Amino acid sequence: MFLDLDKKERTRVAAIDDSGEALTYGELCDFAAEFRRYLPERALLFLLSENCHGSLLGYVGCLSNGIVPLILSARTEESLYTNLRDMYRPAYMWAPEAMAETLGYAEVFRSHGYVLLATGNAPVAMHPDLALLLPTSGSTGSPKLVRHSLRNIEANADNVRRLFQLTGEEKAMAILPMHYTMGLSVIASHLLAGATLLLSGRSLLDRGFWSMLKEATSFTGVPYSYELLMKMRFMRMDLPKLEVITQGGGKLTPEMFRALAEYARDKGKKFIATYGQSECTARMAYLPAELALEKTCSIGFAEPGGQLSIVDADGNETFEGEATGEMVYRGENVTLGYAYGIEDLQKGDENHGVMHTGDLARRDADGCYFIVGRLKRFLKIFGLRIGLDEVENLIKQEYKADCYCKGDDEKLVVLVTDPSLVEALPGFIEEKTHLFHKNIEVRLVDAILRNEAGKVINQ
Amino acid sequence: MTNLETLNGIFCEVFSVDAEALGAGFDNKSVEGWDSVRQLSLTTAVEDSFDIMLDPEDILEFTSYDNAKTILAKYDIEL
Repeated sequence: MFLDLDKKERTRVAAIDDSGEALTYGELCDFAAEFRRYLPERALLFLLSENCHGSLLGYVGCLSNGIVPLILSARTEESLYTNLRDMYRPAYMWAPEAMAETLGYAEVFRSHGYVLLATGNAPVAMHPDLALLLPTSGSTGSPKLVRHSLRNIEANADNVRRLFQLTGEEKAMAILPMHYTMGLSVIASHLLAGATLLLSGRSLLDRGFWSMLKEATSFTGVPYSYELLMKMRFMRMDLPKLEVITQGGGKLTPEMFRALAEYARDKGKKFIATYGQSECTARMAYLPAELALEKTCSIGFAEPGGQLSIVDADGNETFEGEATGEMVYRGENVTLGYAYGIEDLQKGDENHGVMHTGDLARRDADGCYFIVGRLKRFLKIFGLRIGLDEVENLIKQEYKADCYCKGDDEKLVVLVTDPSLVEALPGFIEEKTHLFHKNIEVRLVDAILRNEAGKVINQ
Repeated sequence: MTNLETLNGIFCEVFSVDAEALGAGFDNKSVEGWDSVRQLSLTTAVEDSFDIMLDPEDILEFTSYDNAKTILAKYDIEL
């Protein structure tokens, strides 16, 4: 069965969510069997996710039965959701009860606050290896999806389990959203280990989060999560059960990295920085806790089951010794490829286990990798991946005006030539991407200059 | 600028609203997009503007316009 769920003790608690109720491994297995009764052997389903039992059950129900879910945030902006729905025409939806009526489809059955809806759409042709679809960006609603096989998910879960040496005793704080690759990776790896998920959709500024954290043995966050934790002065709190703090989803500042490493040393905990991409089912590399103080901001080595290399400017690939260039990853968690539309769901494996990450990395003499830049055009703000081309397209469609997006992991900068857009764009981008308008800067320029190849040259 | 104007200015800027929108009922339940990013942005701006350091407890309680006023009173900020 998916993640060997049926091999765990049935009475063991798989998850506790914000309701405070416990869900056992036995209940997960029973639900998967029930889910199968209502669905054909193979179907495309949109899972509108929240971090709660209903959503988790839908995920397990799909993956155990060959139903392919596209996991989207239940908060996805309406026009973006509609766009994806019209494009991929799912036969089913698994949605929170509160949303079911608005969606307007026939109810098939309901459980744990979620409803299975049949849309009436004809079955979609899909490749037999396709098991899961995730958006490349949690926010811009790009129709570009990442295609995962079951093997991708199980390989990632096993690699992460080995990396953290997870056991059934773990209680993992799972606050990263389920539609986000790393959120799912936390879930799958801990279920494989037979551990307990503390599944929360709460904000880190919610009292309920803090009482849950007191029970947790590990916390996984993005850089912004740690900004919040530090603001709340969690380093001074008494969290005796917390053993591991781990981070992914972008780079911490050197100051924060050091502060977390020192906190871990002083309090006898482990701080483990990791690196990953949705194209590789989340995790790819990690810095062992014992190197955290010495190798500030390093992503360390390839995770168990994976291999890293660097391709330098001359195209030479090396696996050891000092080098700088594009980082390449190999492993069974490298996903099948992208889907840009419904026809692509029939495609098989296009990556063949090799991923050119688009990140520029430096490898030191000890074999530790450091991310130094990015070749691909996206930013990571608050752990949200913001595709620059996608934002440009949204603006061009809405306003029929030229623009150019750039920025860093603090701020999205949009260059425009039309003065009326300076006022309008922050609100528009905020609405479409859920990015906070204070992290958006719109700059008026005389012209957006492009070279012959169409590449923008006014930086 | 009075302290109240400063506080209102912070809310208006974070939520892109006019001062008329502020009042009882302007809270994390009814205001679209009131998430941790915005809440932290509020508390950081309040700390900078009034030169205070909020207790973590007060950051957690910073969930409405009315709460914000009550919390500021604790730090001897007269509104």
